[in-house]
Amino acid sequence: MDMEKRKEKLRTMFSKVIEPMGYKFSPDTELVDFLLEQEVNIEKEKGNPFCPCQGLTGEREHDMKLVCPCIPFHREHYDAMKRCWCGMYVHKDVDDPDSLMQISLQEFLESKK
Amino acid sequence: MIYNRNVFMDQESKWIMAIKEDELPEGEKTALLLEGNKVLLLKKEGVFFAMSNKCPHMECPLSKGTLEQYLIVCPCHDWKFDIRNGEFLNAKEIKVPVYQTKVEDGNVFVNMGGAGE
Amino acid sequence: MKKVVMYTLSTCPWCMRAKKFFREHDIPFEYIDYDKADGDTKKAIREDCLAHGSEMSFPFVKVNDDVVVGYNPDKYAKLLGL
Repeated sequence: MDMEKRKEKLRTMFSKVIEPMGYKFSPDTELVDFLLEQEVNIEKEKGNPFCPCQGLTGEREHDMKLVCPCIPFHREHYDAMKRCWCGMYVHKDVDDPDSLMQISLQEFLESKK
Repeated sequence: MIYNRNVFMDQESKWIMAIKEDELPEGEKTALLLEGNKVLLLKKEGVFFAMSNKCPHMECPLSKGTLEQYLIVCPCHDWKFDIRNGEFLNAKEIKVPVYQTKVEDGNVFVNMGGAGE
Repeated sequence: MKKVVMYTLSTCPWCMRAKKFFREHDIPFEYIDYDKADGDTKKAIREDCLAHGSEMSFPFVKVNDDVVVGYNPDKYAKLLGL
């Protein structure tokens, strides 16, 4: 399938999934475009649009939690960052995505203690 | 035999005959096309459940998934949905549309009122 | 000079930004793209990530024995004394 068409299809499908969870596509359109393109390539190679910023292990249970949008499986961590790990999605109230930092899972878990 | 009325909004009823009661064995599922909508019909503990057959994630047919207790597991990415209310196990805000069912004179009916996908 | 090693993915824009940060500050570094690595290397990277409490979120940056998971220029600068 054509790259641009598949990107648009993923964008349409995923926006319906993230919306009820309080997320939107990042206003950084260049970043979103780049990430969607990576996902289309990953989907071609591996069969699924996995997160371009997290590592796969080949174990189904592990990897299925990294299919985009992976927010449901990392909800608390991402909510704390107001973004997902790769930054494609941000909380609806975020206008300046560059102000959001990646917080490692370990730091996040320690901050909860 | 109508399951949990509270799940359903006030909407106009549009009961559509789906299958004969004895066509679907206990614990089984089938894909149907009702009023132009792809519908998954399941039978669990003697009760019929109907929901959209399209996974809200990437539109995979849930009918090709597996039923674990009251959870249908999407064949594509293992997303799990409760067949009683359509809720996605890991984020309850995400729902598969569910439809009422009833059995009359050995026929299973699905209420497609307000379906319009 | 401190030794900088990072694990990255070829598809990850934050990994690219991390590399750019070190290049711009003339800090030499080594990197391995996890997605392009062979099986044994992948296994070793996963073990290293897990040992630091990370389930393979990239970039994974090591400055000597200190680890920063994620793109965080302030933390990189602090560890390098910039």
